[in-house]
Amino acid sequence: MAAFEYRQAEELRAAFSRWSVRYLFLGKSGAILLGFPDTTQDVDIFPERSSENGRALVEALRALGFQLTEAQAEEIVRGKDFVQLKNGPFDLDLVFAPDGINTFAEAWSRHVEVEGFPVCHPDDIIASKLAANRAKDRETLPRLLAFRDYWARIQR
Amino acid sequence: MDLDNNVREADRQIWEEEFAAAARRPLPVRLRYAFVRTYKPILDDAPYRSFEHMDDYRHWCETQLPSWLGYGRV
Repeated sequence: MAAFEYRQAEELRAAFSRWSVRYLFLGKSGAILLGFPDTTQDVDIFPERSSENGRALVEALRALGFQLTEAQAEEIVRGKDFVQLKNGPFDLDLVFAPDGINTFAEAWSRHVEVEGFPVCHPDDIIASKLAANRAKDRETLPRLLAFRDYWARIQR
Repeated sequence: MDLDNNVREADRQIWEEEFAAAARRPLPVRLRYAFVRTYKPILDDAPYRSFEHMDDYRHWCETQLPSWLGYGRV
């Protein structure tokens, strides 16, 4: 499988918009959309957990080329905390309950739009990485914190 | 956890220059150089996984993945 490309980001945005999926980019992929210069391998999406949004998400994912069985689709509609997809055109993690973020509504209330891509606020991206407390996150966090400060300055 | 205080000023300056350079690049260019593809053992060996709770996923990462991938909690 090839790496995620801008064309695929556009296709994701178009499909999620067509099916009115409520979602946010999260994790390092979200930070990269905000301008964080780093590398990553997969796309992290934080979808709102509701059966209606889950059904819309399944339709959008199938339109993008993800091969979902009925059982897998049902798990997405139900909103299991974490779903990892490597059965489509790019690697995609669906994180319905990210560590360090209370609710989708809270994250949505402070989200950032980057050229039509809805992205978690840098504080939420950092909060989720702090809460996850993985070795790979600990390596990234000092630079990500510095980016958050830089990003906040250039927003003024 | 106070990670900020461990950063040397020299590192911070270099990073800020990198942030400023990235901000000048259009989004398609930023994405082209940000997403890379390397094989991750075990993690990449199944087309689909799901976990009822995040703790289940974290535990799976810690017990099933090689530690050098960095998915284990500190």
